[in-house]
Amino acid sequence: MSDSDPIQILSRLTDEDSFVRQNELGKLCSVAKSRAVRNALVLAGPRAGKTELLKKTFDRLFVDAAGVAPIYYSFRPTASGVERFARDYLTQFLAQFIAFRRNDPRLMVAADASLTDMASAAAAEDYLWVKSLTDSFSRSVAQPDPGSMLRTALSAPLVAAARSQVLPFVLLDNVHLLADDAVGESIADLRSELFRVLAGHENFAMAGAATAHIAPRYALCGLRRPLAEMIPADEGLLDSLQTIRLEPVGEEPLDRLVRAVARGSGIDISDSTKELMINQLGHDIFYIRALLDSAASRSLSLKSFMEFERLYTEEVIDGRIGQYFSAMLRSLASPARSRRAMLEALNLAIEAGDAVPVDAVVDRIGEHTNDPEKLLARMHTRELLEIGYGFVNAPADPVLADYVRSVYRSEVAGARRPLAGELLLAEKLKDSYRLMMSRYNRSIESQVVDLLSGFDFQSAPASLFDQAAFEKLYRGASRVQARRALDDEQERARLPQIVVVNDVASADQPGMRWRLFAATGFEGGIYSDANEVIWLVALINSKEPLDLETVNHIDRRLEAYGRSRRPRIVRWYISKEGFSAAAAELLSRLRAYCSTYAQMDLLHDYLVKLGQSKRRPASEFELVIPIEEDAELIAARMVEQVARAADFDQEAINQIKTALIEACINAAEHSDSPDRRIYQRFAIETDRITITVTNKGKAIGSQNGEASKLAAGSLRGARGRGLKIIRALMDEVRFEPTDDGTSLVMTKILRRPQESDE
Amino acid sequence: MSNVEIKSRMVEGAAIIYPGPYLNQLRGEDIENCCQEFLKRGVNRLVINFQETELINSIGISILLGVIEAVNDAEGCLVLSNLSATNRELFEMLGLLDHVRIEDSEQGALDALTEQAGTAAR
Repeated sequence: MSDSDPIQILSRLTDEDSFVRQNELGKLCSVAKSRAVRNALVLAGPRAGKTELLKKTFDRLFVDAAGVAPIYYSFRPTASGVERFARDYLTQFLAQFIAFRRNDPRLMVAADASLTDMASAAAAEDYLWVKSLTDSFSRSVAQPDPGSMLRTALSAPLVAAARSQVLPFVLLDNVHLLADDAVGESIADLRSELFRVLAGHENFAMAGAATAHIAPRYALCGLRRPLAEMIPADEGLLDSLQTIRLEPVGEEPLDRLVRAVARGSGIDISDSTKELMINQLGHDIFYIRALLDSAASRSLSLKSFMEFERLYTEEVIDGRIGQYFSAMLRSLASPARSRRAMLEALNLAIEAGDAVPVDAVVDRIGEHTNDPEKLLARMHTRELLEIGYGFVNAPADPVLADYVRSVYRSEVAGARRPLAGELLLAEKLKDSYRLMMSRYNRSIESQVVDLLSGFDFQSAPASLFDQAAFEKLYRGASRVQARRALDDEQERARLPQIVVVNDVASADQPGMRWRLFAATGFEGGIYSDANEVIWLVALINSKEPLDLETVNHIDRRLEAYGRSRRPRIVRWYISKEGFSAAAAELLSRLRAYCSTYAQMDLLHDYLVKLGQSKRRPASEFELVIPIEEDAELIAARMVEQVARAADFDQEAINQIKTALIEACINAAEHSDSPDRRIYQRFAIETDRITITVTNKGKAIGSQNGEASKLAAGSLRGARGRGLKIIRALMDEVRFEPTDDGTSLVMTKILRRPQESDE
Repeated sequence: MSNVEIKSRMVEGAAIIYPGPYLNQLRGEDIENCCQEFLKRGVNRLVINFQETELINSIGISILLGVIEAVNDAEGCLVLSNLSATNRELFEMLGLLDHVRIEDSEQGALDALTEQAGTAAR
């Protein structure tokens, strides 16, 4: 059965495009199938899609039929008593296990049957142990100790595994509900019994592989704050737990989701509205689906911002989203007074826009609730607020903030509703433009941070850091043409390896926004003070070329930042619209790098391409030779075979062999290699062979092609010729520092006969 | 390969030396010694035939430069022959062609020596 098999048993989403947690799904399935005894702890924020993830995992494992029987059980929010839970859990477990064993999901409805009838549904080979288990449970019901029922029910996965040799993977949903002692005393018993069962895995782990095949696996899933707090400090349990955090879903899978749902539901939506929707709704799957469902049910178009914001406003005030929040507030505080207290606390934190002391919030809501601290704690648990170190912060959820503002305005402050339209709609329309602009800025800024983080001693075309040179070389060239031409550029800039990027400052002024970053790294393979460097990067988004006055202003900020720091400073100005003549002259005097956004994009493309060419050779061979007389000939023989197989002609093969011999001699002479070995890698691609010769110890040669002093003094002044030969015979040659030595990377391009003839 | 002895022979009063398949430091020094021997014996017309030489490294070339220098000092004459395209490219790149004559064949090299001797006699 393929990964994309659409069979659905428990899951709700019908289209694979609509399921946005493929990565987490893979992790859960691998825990289920792991040979070692492991459990998963799935921590999620509200509405992160945890239930759908568990149900999808269930479906995947059920359909896989790979010896792991998935069981899904969701704890309920209300007190149900130990007996009711134990009976429910055991019934659900047996019904699902039997359905899996008989490969018939319809048998899961047996969970509605009585426990005593369960054995009759079991496969013949399971009949005896299922009967024995249900009989045992019936006997435990009659006993005075309710814990006996609980233990019998919770032992079901272990019994099933031992008797059937099929491993249950028990997916427990909403486990955080067991954290609330207020629900009843039985919750504490249930919690401790559950963790006792899980901690029992330590025994399996200690017993080793012999018993691992009968140790059921569990996945505990729930709201991250209460669930993380309820895990006991039990080493055995913690060792077995693999934590899977459901982070906010990225833009790309959400984009796929919106497109799939819109396509399936016939909703007309534009790309801009789609982006706005994803960002305004805080990447929240529940909100996005609520809006799309509403648009679909009412046949609404979402092509313009106005159409989207109108629907959003309705959904937040009176629609599914509003009802969701209303139900959540009711569930946390049943008397109306307490709900008022919650609204007051939320509104205070949201309007403050900053941390508010807990005492201030308690004072504010004290008159509406008897126990303000407890109410705040519950709000924190459900992530309506964030409380830490004596301060209350507003939730990061922008939709909740809109709901609170709107409800507070009408129900607490008593503002009259407009005769037509909604205040929230006008606010959101203004916000939508700002949001998209700031999103654009954030995206560029994060692109710069990613770019800097990817600096790893590459050698890049120098014109990408010099706007004037770039203009001279590539004026009028398309991005594709420039990208091609950059590959042949001789002038190179050596990038450092960046290890940390800091945000230094930012400013918004009319028509311009700039942001400063400090990227710290090293210029050589040895991580020493002498090699440390800071790249101070100014990113300027303006409508006009950067002028002299602004350069002076920004440079003073950079100067102030760099002054107190020891490492060498490199300045890099990246301006969307380039630089005025005066600004360019000043930056040239300051020896600062100057680029436009277009150059930055090209640098990004260049580094990505470089990374890909490193990662994806069609085939690769490796050879290690000792540093001893004539060993380089073995390398030459090998590369001859490799190059011949790659279709190089004899002359090119001779050139490659000669270059490789020189590289080996260099590595042997110039290194101080402790292991007296030379490592070689031959990577073949469709149009080239790339040879990497690596040694440990000192550098093979210097970057500019000059031989080292050590080499120059030996062998009748011969050295230096080696590098000259390599550069002459190969098409690309570069040095790359490694952690404990240096690599010489040389490439020979395959020239087909017709190319040579031209 | 390093143990391969340097072969040489005398033809028409000239010494012809065959470096073998790989001219590296060791064989470069062997050739240097061999040339010195010939020069001591008064044989100052020399040919180095690279017919069998598949690979030459930069150290071998450096030593060859020393040989060229030694032959010039002894007012002798040295011609190289039978170089492969890659080896010829190497010599050209490293400037050896400014100091030594290269011929395609051994006979061509011997003819060149005769020609140079005639020129010198005139």
